[in-house]
Amino acid sequence: MTAAIVAHELRKTFAARRRQIEAVRGIDLRVSAGEVFAFLGPNGAGKTTTVRMLTTLLPIDSGTAFVAGVDVGRDPVAARRRIGLVGQRGGADLAATGRENLLLQGQLYGSDRATAERRAAELIELFALGEFVDRRAQTYSGGQRRRLELALGLMHNPRVLFLDEPTTGLDPHNRANLWEQIRTLRESGTTIFLTTHYLEEADALANRVAIVDHGRVVAEGTPAELKRELGSQRIRLTPKADGTPIEEIAASLRTLPLVEEAQPADGAIRLTVADGARVLPALLDRLRERRIELDSLTLAEPSLDDVFLAKTGRALRDTGDLEQAP
Amino acid sequence: MKLAREIRLLTMRKLLETWRQPTWVFMGLTTPLLYLVLFAPVLRRLAGAPGFPRGHVLDVFLPGVLCLIAFGAGMGAGWGVIVELDSGVIERLRVTPVSRFALLMGSVLRDTAMFLLPALVVIAVAIPFDYHPNPGGTATLLALLCLLTAATSAWSAALGLKLREISSLAAVVTGLQLPLTLLAGILLPLTLAPGWLRGLAHTDPLYYTVEAARLLSTGTIANWTVGEGFLVTAGLTVLTLAWATAKYREAAS
Repeated sequence: MTAAIVAHELRKTFAARRRQIEAVRGIDLRVSAGEVFAFLGPNGAGKTTTVRMLTTLLPIDSGTAFVAGVDVGRDPVAARRRIGLVGQRGGADLAATGRENLLLQGQLYGSDRATAERRAAELIELFALGEFVDRRAQTYSGGQRRRLELALGLMHNPRVLFLDEPTTGLDPHNRANLWEQIRTLRESGTTIFLTTHYLEEADALANRVAIVDHGRVVAEGTPAELKRELGSQRIRLTPKADGTPIEEIAASLRTLPLVEEAQPADGAIRLTVADGARVLPALLDRLRERRIELDSLTLAEPSLDDVFLAKTGRALRDTGDLEQAP
Repeated sequence: MKLAREIRLLTMRKLLETWRQPTWVFMGLTTPLLYLVLFAPVLRRLAGAPGFPRGHVLDVFLPGVLCLIAFGAGMGAGWGVIVELDSGVIERLRVTPVSRFALLMGSVLRDTAMFLLPALVVIAVAIPFDYHPNPGGTATLLALLCLLTAATSAWSAALGLKLREISSLAAVVTGLQLPLTLLAGILLPLTLAPGWLRGLAHTDPLYYTVEAARLLSTGTIANWTVGEGFLVTAGLTVLTLAWATAKYREAAS
């Protein structure tokens, strides 16, 4: 497969009041054509700065970036013809109607009006914009506006589409809708580079994920690889209070295969296991043998917190991020 | 060709946006008329006073009002820029292959149109009240003031891109607006002013525009003061357009 994005040793430093902020510190990327690639990390990790460099919005301090075969630093205008960006702030012109937005966007890429109208009709259909496309964008709900903005990014059939935090600020229903639409795009063969701070999002959409922190890629792979490598699953069980001492139960469970850790905590036991689906039957057998009854038992997938903690030694929520949307 | 098309598309976008805010169109038309109704009568008493230029009151006063409209028509551009930075519109347009100069010219030409419209209304309204415009002079005057609107519009847009915050922009723009317009003798000609003030006025680029405007309105075209006015205003327009285009090119964060 040909590469849609190739970046080598990308760096960006901002000067801010008497100190230098190294936002991106040597990022290498290789994204194949047709792939959905997720850039996962907390806010302030350098995700948006990287996207802005790849989309010609920010000059690259050092390193090289090729997008759709074009050297972004050397020939930004050629790069702009081949890429689309849906930025964090969206970019719909709120005073205009959705259709006016779409037609102008197409014409700014050089389409004549008839071609722009045909393309707009396709996208109105694809993103189900028909109901509101002739109303002014300022009347749209968050989800409607996001769909319009996604359509705007696709008006000129870009070879690579960049989505910067596409679902931030959307409610769960609209997030699910948008995921569905991004999957449709994936099937149509558009290369998509998306940034997110939700592990579930990367998991649901991406063929490959890079985890970024402090301007560097700390891990890269398919979601399954990353999970296997980074985050074992967590089991939390609470035995009935009157039975066997909790330390004793924990010690017994620790000897089961695939159990990596079993720690007593606040009357419960927290287990870290490699493969929950295989551990659970053995675990339940062991509890039955020892006649231990349970109040509760939960199995949890690794969260971005776990992944992040494993890779950086810090918890994601301690990164002191004030911007993060609720 | 490509540039002209982009400028046309982006100017239409801005004109449509303005057209959909009828309050602004209405205010843009009524504010200059208020100067004629509420301020010009005061001046009638001044006519004939020592230092007041000869001629009818409106012939002195109206070119100043036109300069004020031209100046004010461009000042708001920065606000629009900041709103569109926040909504991401400018970022989206900057990712298209469109020329950065065209991105700027959309609002510059809209502002120029929003100067011409009230200016023509004011001229038409003033004629029955003893205003004697010279056709050739007035056409040249409007051309000069279009340059002024373009310069203030580009300047305000560049400041918006630089400051990125409505409050900082408002502080700079309103802070400069008053000294610039007062020193230029926009409402009352500086022939009434003491010598030091007249000297200071020469540091204000707007002064040259206003001086040229008063002469043009009476039909004096081939004149050194008029030439000076065009030179200063056009120079300013070129500088501010270049600065704002550079800001669109780099607009980061």
